[in-house]
Amino acid sequence: MTVLIQAQGLSKNYGAKRALDNVSFEINKGAPVALVGPNGAGKTTLFSLLCGYILPSSGQLSVLGHAPGSAALFGKLTALPQDAQLDPRFSIAHQLNFYGQLQGLSGTVRKKETARVLELVGLSEVAKQRPDDLSHGMRKRVTIAQALIGEPEIVMLDEATAGLDPIHAREVRELVSSLSNEATFILSSHDLTELERLCSQVLHLDKGVLSEHQARSSTQDNKHYITLQLNQRYDDVEAKLASLAQVHHVYMSQAKEYVIEFEQTVEPFDINLLQFCYQQGWQYRQLVNGHTLENQIFHKES
Amino acid sequence: MTQLHPKRLAQIAQFELVRLFLTKRGLLAVAAFAICWLLILRYPIAESVNLISSPEFADFARQAFGAIGISRLLDWPESELAMYWLIALYSFPCFCLFLCSDQTVGDRQRGTLRFLSLRATRSEIIIGRFLGQLLILAALLFVTLMATLAMLTYREPSLFLSGFSRSLTLLVFLLITVMPFIALMSFLNTFARSSRLAFVLAILFFAGGNIIIGLLTWQLPLLDVLYYLFPGYQIDVVAGQRAGMMLGVGLPVLQTVVLLAVGERIFARSSL
Repeated sequence: MTVLIQAQGLSKNYGAKRALDNVSFEINKGAPVALVGPNGAGKTTLFSLLCGYILPSSGQLSVLGHAPGSAALFGKLTALPQDAQLDPRFSIAHQLNFYGQLQGLSGTVRKKETARVLELVGLSEVAKQRPDDLSHGMRKRVTIAQALIGEPEIVMLDEATAGLDPIHAREVRELVSSLSNEATFILSSHDLTELERLCSQVLHLDKGVLSEHQARSSTQDNKHYITLQLNQRYDDVEAKLASLAQVHHVYMSQAKEYVIEFEQTVEPFDINLLQFCYQQGWQYRQLVNGHTLENQIFHKES
Repeated sequence: MTQLHPKRLAQIAQFELVRLFLTKRGLLAVAAFAICWLLILRYPIAESVNLISSPEFADFARQAFGAIGISRLLDWPESELAMYWLIALYSFPCFCLFLCSDQTVGDRQRGTLRFLSLRATRSEIIIGRFLGQLLILAALLFVTLMATLAMLTYREPSLFLSGFSRSLTLLVFLLITVMPFIALMSFLNTFARSSRLAFVLAILFFAGGNIIIGLLTWQLPLLDVLYYLFPGYQIDVVAGQRAGMMLGVGLPVLQTVVLLAVGERIFARSSL
């Protein structure tokens, strides 16, 4: 597997505040990677370090074998930094053309690229307009478009769907999904369901400390899990589920949602579980094979 | 290590040129500049022969510029160019502080530099933009000089060739004179939080700096070497065409290199 990004003992201090604390991880070429965590957890700091916008206080960071921000990465690593805006004085096409030019694309190629990336985000018609003439959501999509110019190997999108309406947020997710064979995406978002759909590797930051998870992991430490979400509240669900054969442990992760740890045998546990729900007269909303990302990250079983 | 790719440097500089001539704000600045210079061309320059030969002007010049000794200028047959030289030499540096006040600060505040820095090194951005501003000033100087030359030729066609040759010399000296002023704004842009603040800092640098050095030299006269830190220190001497190459060219070039080098180091280490 090709290692794209390698971080070793990475820390970043802002004065006395430690934004990142001895973070180490590897990102390989392949499926999109999620970067999650609450506000102030250090996500944007890590993004900024990867893009070379800031320098680490200590530790090593290598992107495609180079230091972040080095000229060797131009055109290979692109990003949508949070809250960054294009210059309001130039047309969208003019600026995207310029970015293509800096990436070394020739005149006709960069014009085609500008048209292609604008079409990808569904904004071909605004090419001649200035950023100020566009809505917030459209501006966001244009800035996503600039990250797709050329043939980047790593595309980093910080809060790409924040502020977009559901239709366009879905389009961006589909775009990332369809392009994920061509480039490795690194996404940060507060929408865990969105990240769960797209990503396999999850980097979770909390107070500058990193932990790694697998999205929709059905096994963890050789334990098997199923997450059952019911339509309404029923009595003694935990106790009744615990009485099932194969079940080791059950806990309620949130209202009407239960995480079941079970033993894998020749018996199909999921089928047995659904039959049990039917017998009890429970209507289920969703059955997830494994932990949801939200439960993995935020649920602390008492 | 500083990385400078000539192609990207040229592309960034070219983009700055477009910023002035193809954006509304840039065109407004050009329009204001054009109106000012139309007035300058129409009155002091068009009337330069009468003005310079008049005893009142000679008295005024003696009083105002006595210290800098512009007597050599009064002898130029191309009086329009003499008048242009004096006006441009003092006005372009001030205009330049205003024109070049937003080189990187606006893009830094808006986050646009984050898009750029993934495609060009920070050294290329700061130096490319400096070169872009220099190109803009070269274009403006060239246009105003050509207009002055046209007026000179209209008055006395036989002076065209000598006027053209003198114009080129003036253009080079004016460009060298404005260089440290642009570099000063490049430097201030690396830490100012807005273009207005960068402009105010420049004014404070000249006003406050002169007062402080004045007080210091009062205590310790040797410290008057500190005046060499100020862009434009040589202007009074250059105005009278009495400056040697070291002062007229060496000092502004050195100031430019130092300001850009310090600015580049700050910019390379700053957070975007």
